[in-house]
Formats: sequence, C-alpha cells, structure tokens
Amino acid sequence: MTLTVDRLRVIYRDGDHGILALDEVSLVLEPGRCLALVGESGSGKTTLGMACMGLLPESAEVRGRILLSGQELDTADEAAMNRVRWSDLSMVFQNGAANLNPLHRIVDQVAEPLIHQGNMGRRPALDRAAEALVSVGLEPHLHRRYPHQLSGGQVQRALLAMAGVLDPAVLILDEPTSALDALSKGIVARVIREAVARGKAVLLITHDLEFAVHQADHMAVLYLGQVLETLPPEDLLSRPLHPYTLALGRSYPSMDTVRDLGGIRGDAFYRLVHRHGTENGEHSVHSHIQIPGSSHRDGHAPPTGCLFQNRCTQAVPACSSGRIPLEEVEGHGVRCLRHGIVNLMELHNVTKAYDNVPAVKGVDLEIKAGEILALVGETGSGKTTLAMTAAGALRQDQGQRFFDGQDMDGWIARDYRSLARRVGVIYQNPSESVSHRFTVFDAVAEPLRIHGFGKNRSERTDQVRRVLSDVHLSTDPAFLERYPHELNMGAIQRVCLARALVLSPVFLAADEPTSSLDPSVQAKVMKLLLELQTERGLTMLFVTHDIGLARKISDRIAVMLAGRIVELGPASAIMKDPRHPYTRLLLESASGRHVEPRIGESDAGDVDGCAFAPRCPSRLDRCLTERPLLQPQSGRKVACHASGPAE
Amino acid sequence: MHINRKEVLRDPWFVAGLCLALAFGFVALLGPALAPYDPWNMGFEPIASPDSRHLLGVNDGGQDILSELLYAVRNTVAFGLLSGLAALGLGVAAGLAAGWYGGPVDAFLMRLADVLLAVPAVMVLILAAALFRPEPWVLALLLAVFAWPTISKTIRAQTLSLRTSLHVKAAVRMGASGRYILRRHLLPEMFPLYLIGFAAKARMAMFMEASLAFLGLFDPSRKSLGMMISYALKFYYMDIWWHWLMPPVLCLSLLIMGVTFLAVGLEKVLDPRLRTVTGEPV
Repeated sequence: MTLTVDRLRVIYRDGDHGILALDEVSLVLEPGRCLALVGESGSGKTTLGMACMGLLPESAEVRGRILLSGQELDTADEAAMNRVRWSDLSMVFQNGAANLNPLHRIVDQVAEPLIHQGNMGRRPALDRAAEALVSVGLEPHLHRRYPHQLSGGQVQRALLAMAGVLDPAVLILDEPTSALDALSKGIVARVIREAVARGKAVLLITHDLEFAVHQADHMAVLYLGQVLETLPPEDLLSRPLHPYTLALGRSYPSMDTVRDLGGIRGDAFYRLVHRHGTENGEHSVHSHIQIPGSSHRDGHAPPTGCLFQNRCTQAVPACSSGRIPLEEVEGHGVRCLRHGIVNLMELHNVTKAYDNVPAVKGVDLEIKAGEILALVGETGSGKTTLAMTAAGALRQDQGQRFFDGQDMDGWIARDYRSLARRVGVIYQNPSESVSHRFTVFDAVAEPLRIHGFGKNRSERTDQVRRVLSDVHLSTDPAFLERYPHELNMGAIQRVCLARALVLSPVFLAADEPTSSLDPSVQAKVMKLLLELQTERGLTMLFVTHDIGLARKISDRIAVMLAGRIVELGPASAIMKDPRHPYTRLLLESASGRHVEPRIGESDAGDVDGCAFAPRCPSRLDRCLTERPLLQPQSGRKVACHASGPAE
Repeated sequence: MHINRKEVLRDPWFVAGLCLALAFGFVALLGPALAPYDPWNMGFEPIASPDSRHLLGVNDGGQDILSELLYAVRNTVAFGLLSGLAALGLGVAAGLAAGWYGGPVDAFLMRLADVLLAVPAVMVLILAAALFRPEPWVLALLLAVFAWPTISKTIRAQTLSLRTSLHVKAAVRMGASGRYILRRHLLPEMFPLYLIGFAAKARMAMFMEASLAFLGLFDPSRKSLGMMISYALKFYYMDIWWHWLMPPVLCLSLLIMGVTFLAVGLEKVLDPRLRTVTGEPV
C-alpha cells in the first residue's frame, strides 16, 4: 500500500491564533521503501506521523489529503480510522512508556491489536505477541512484566513489536532510537530492513541522522513544517544542497565528522498564524514567525519568503518574499531560491607569480557559502598568496575569480569598496596589521571610518563596543584607549577579528590567525572563531600549516603543494584516508612522528612532473615527467599517479 | 593620537627643551615690548659696561645691547621657523609623493633632491644675499629650497616601508582612499620625522642666519645675533666679552639646544613604542 500525503497543512488552534505545524507537506510512502523524515525538534515531524494516524488533538485544524492506496483517509472519522489502524497503518510512538497502559502486562498489550483488530483468539494472540516480542530481542521472562518494570529501551522495543504485530502495510516509526543505545539500535534497523524487504512502506521520523542515512531509501528534511530538501540518504552528510541540511549535518555528531560540532546560527522559531479578514476559515497568509523568548537579535522574522532565511548563510533580499517552491536540483528536491548551496567564491585557473617566481600555478577552487575551507601545506606552497587573491587583496596574473556569482575583477574595477565590505581578512601577524599609533578603538573603528559608517564618534563607539563584546573583549572606555602593544597576543588577535567583522562581511579569509599564539590561547581564539562563524553564517577560507588544527575546524580541506592543490575534499575523508602521499606526510608530521625526508635529486623549479615526486616514497617513473591532474577519487579530488583508482 | 601630559612633563629632555623654547618664544614675541630702549637709538655712551640703566651695557655705536639682543632673537627665531617650516613642507610633500607614487615621480623628485644636495647652500645664499640684497624672508625660503632634500629622503624611505607595512596594506584592502591613508596612516606615522627634520632645518637656518649676518650680508641696521657677535669681535681686546660677545653666543646656542631637546622629548612621547608602559597588559 502506498501512503500519500498531499499538501497537508496542520494548525494547532488556540483562540484566534494558532501554531502552523505543517505547511503544505507532500510526501509519498511507497511499498518496499523507507522514507526518513529528519529535522530539528519542532519541525513538525511527529505531527505528520500523528496526522497520518488520525491522532491529532481536537484543536488541530487539518487541511490537505492523506491517501492510503489512493483512498482518502477521513482522519476525523474515528470508526474509519480504527479500521485501518494497526492492520494497515501503525505507528511506534515516541516516549515509550507513556503510550503503554501501566496496569497491563506488556505481552497482553502487544496481543491487544491481534484480538481486537485481527479477530484472533486470546491464546493464539498471546503466542503471536510472545513471538513478536522475542523477535525484537525481549526474552520470554520479560513478557509478563508491567511497563514500569522494563527499561526505557525495552519499552521502546515492546512498542516496536506491538506496531508490527498485525503486519501493517505502512509503518511509522517516531524517534524509535532516541531511547536506545547503539547496540539496541541494531534491532530497530533489522525491523526496518525486514519490513522493507517484505514490501512494507516505512516512515522513519528521527533526528538521528546517521541512523536515517543507513536505513532509509529516501529522505526529506523538514523545517518549521516545510520540506526544505528531499534527497538520497547518502548525500545527506556528504553532499547536501540546502543550507539547512548542511547546517543540520554539521550539528550532528557523526562518527566520520572530525570537525568540532557547529550548530546552526540563531534559534528555531515556531510559526504563529492569525485569523483576520478570513473567509470560510481560510487562514491569512500573513503568518508571523514568532521567536520563543526574545533572545534572538534579529527580532521577528518576516512573514513571507523562505522560512530559513534568518539562519541561512546565503540569504539574499529576494529570499524574504513570495513562497519558495520545491525544485528539482541535481536529483534532490530543494526549496531554495538560489537552487541550493551556492559557491560564494570560485577561482578558475588562478595563477600568480612574484617577479617570475611562481607562487600559485593554476588553481581551481570553490568555496561554498557557509563552509570553512582549510588551506593546508608547508611554507612557500602559495597558501597565503591564494588566500589573499581570493580576498581581493592581490590580483592574479591569469585566471578568473567569482564572488557570489559575479566576476570579481569587474566588481573591483567598478566598486571595490562594496566588495571589500563583504570580505574580512585576518592576517598572520596581528600586531603588525594594526598601526601601532591606533588605540583599540581606532583599530576596530578603522573599517567604519574608511566606509563612512557611523555618523559620529558615539555611533561608531556603539558599533565598536558591540563587535568587541562579540569577540569577548572588554568594552569599557579604558580598554578602548589601550594600544595594541599593551595587550597580549590573544587579545590583539581578537581585536583584529573584531576589525574584520565590524562591517559584517560574509566571507572571511584568515591567514594563520593563530600560529603566533600559544596552544591555550589558540584554543580559545579558535572556539571563538567557530562560534562566530556559526552565529554570523560566515564562509571562511582558513589558511594554516597545521593540518591538526584544520581537522578540528574545517568542513573541507585543500592540500597545497608548490602552488597547486594536490588533494581537495571533505575533512573527514582526508583525515581518515589521505590519498596523496604529501597529505600523508603532513598528517604523519602533524602527529609528531619523525618523518625522514627523502632527499630527491631535484626539489627545485617548476619541473614537468609532480612537485612531490623527489620526496615521494611511492614514486612512479612517470611522476617525474608527467604532472598528475586533480581527479575525483573516493569522495575527493587527488592529483597523484600512484594513488589513482586501482587499474 | 593623544599626548599624555603627565608623562611628557616627566621627561627631562622635553621639559628642558620646552623651557628654553618657551623662553625664546616669549622673547621673540614680546621682544619689542620688553626692550628697555629703542635698539636703533645711538644716543648712549658707547662701549659702556653694564650698569643699572643698561643691563648689558652699550655697544660701540651707543646702542643698548639688551634691546639689540631682544630684537636679534626675534629675527633669528622668525628666520629659523620660516625656513624650517618651508623646508619641512617641501620635504614632506616631495617625500610622500616620491614614496607613494614611485616610478617617474619618484625618479624626478629624487634626482632633483640629489642635485640640490650637491649644491652648497651657503655659497648660494652668500651670493644671493650679496648680489640681490633680498629681504630676509626671501633668503629663508631660498635656504628651504636647498634644505628639503634631506627631509624628503627620510620621508620617502619611511613612506616606502609604510606602503608595504601590513597595517597600510590592510587599510588599502579595506578600501581606504589615498586621502585616508595619508591622513590616518602616513602623516601621523611620520610625526617624529617631521619634528626631527624641522628641528634640524630650523637649527641650520638659525645658524645660517647668524652666519650671514656675521658676514654682514644683511641690512646692517637689521638686528641679528650674528651681526652682534661680529661687531663684538672687533673689540675682542677690550673687556667686553662677558656682556657683549657672550649674550648673543649664549642665546644662539641655547636656542638651538632648546629646539633639539624639544624634538627629542616629543619624539619619545609621540612614539608609543618608546613609551614606558604603565599598568598591566590586558
């Protein structure tokens, strides 16, 4: 049987206003497939499950249709719903124990649907129930216990047995793994696999992304009652197209993630709708997005446009109007005006030399909006040159740069300052990047002065204070009059960070921002940087020679050697399984192991072959004569003859 | 940039320089009012030793030496200030232009500076003064024309190094205009250089004024320290040195010392890195 949800809209009424829990959600649950519904709490996942079961409270207003095998379900008709519940459509509820009757033994409760819906006798029903319980790993001695005598995980499994006992065609699992340890999750996984194998349709509602990735055939990402992205599960963590999906994945402690958890900027809201000027109970389109509490600095979100716009890393003014449709983009369904995550920065074949000494030799690099890309490599590999070219501080000799989809060189020629406002730079040497005649105030207010922001000193002081408190520095007048050389390195770097952020850029190029700091200060500054990246939705190009640091902060890593990128891919993939011998060397050196450099015949000049060949332990003959190109390989790009896919 | 008054006033160089400069500035400003007599009045008994009416005695022309001295200081200070400021203005403008724009501008200005440096200013001034008998202020400006190259060389060098310094690059990257860089970065950054340059040139100009006067190249009726020394020296065999020769020599020396001390003291104060840090680092 196929369960179809067609433009389902659910509003929890409370007097004249209500909370919009589901907003025109359409889903199809096909037999033999598992659809996973993921999203933050409050996104309406459970409401959807409950709506399918016809179990929404009286106060809920339901619009749209739910069809089971083409037959529309009248969810308000208790009798009709009772006929399909358990036998055709069943659900494993969240909060296990609350859904069981504390006065009955579990085996009796599991047998109950068999007796009432399946018209089975009591004895065979109890036998079937016992079988079902054993199949979810509950030993017979537990069967005659009462719910309160079981652990949370055991109750959860009992509910699973109960939902499957009548062999329903559609199984809805609401957070089935939240009360389970990692090993017990295996049982849920087996139940899902078996159900799918037997042609059942499974709806898996969960916030456990990794579990969903492994069990589901398809996924839908729900946010504030709207489906923002539908995608194949394997793309969820590695190739999300909606900024929300990316942020969700970054917040999840997956076993592959090496980066520190990022979170999503801002808070989730819930949507309040008002009934005014309505006909036939039609809801006003002017729904408010209400923020619980009022801690969020952006205040009320605009009522129209993309729901995620306030927390998005690539929102443009157009995102705040109209209704964004779910579009097909690269095999995903994406509800985004910009057709998924955009490349904020694109470099095409960028080449830069200083007086005929090449520093960057034809680099292609894309930086996605909202991500942190770490550029690692040894000194002299061209990292800083590349980063400064990306930031617009240097001009490439050849190649093209694009910022936010626009040709950067044209933009620079036309109106450099408007580009400069969007790009912040943190330099390697914080104390040199501020004039020693500047006080803390002068240093942080400099960008404001240059761009003519803030009419007078007091207005600028307010802005300076705000950004200083963002970087956790003192804002008292005495501190504002201090000189950088009177501060410690950590504080100077924070001042530089404040300087880079005071114009609210969208892109931050950080050149070894912490290499001059000792580890404890570095840790604090990095944590601050990550926090600001999340809260401000910054896109970052992070230059570092420390691959260990890159591992903790970056989404993707680009390994640079002699002006070229030799390996580029997700930080997790590169850390787990470095493919280029140079990356391996960097990783080994970073872990403190002494690496004996192999002295090559020639290590200088722009040789024809791979720049690493002279030092490479796995060198092939052609490495010296033929330069390897960046080729896609196991989820990343590698430029190496020796590590190519097995031939 | 602000100057911490307490800190400045603790610096002995600055305090000494300030006292001298204030004293001479006071004299220069109020000289005519302070002078007990008209310095051109030749009605007193010539070559008289000091007494209560003539504190420094009377010269060979029957003029009151103290009154003469007060007018002379005024002239010397004015000449030094004018020439020093003009040289500073020219030097800073040329140095900044050469350093910031580079290329042909730099080449032209620096070759010009080299040519001017090779010309002995003293000779030019002596010739100009002897041939054309110009007003003193013309000579002061003429001196400035030969004095700016050394200032412009240091300013240019500093501009070149500032141009590549990270904080200027950072400001340029932020989109700062040339005017902003000039006003916020280059000009304040080089403040000590102006003081040093100005002090050196003002010093030189005062000395030059005294020399020209000593050689008698100014209008003889114009009061000048150099001229006073020159006249006094004619009577070296008499017992006049302590009240006639010494005062202008001392005045000239102290004036030059005062200017130098002030520059040294200010330089220490205005460069925050040379300051003693008070309080704990944050």
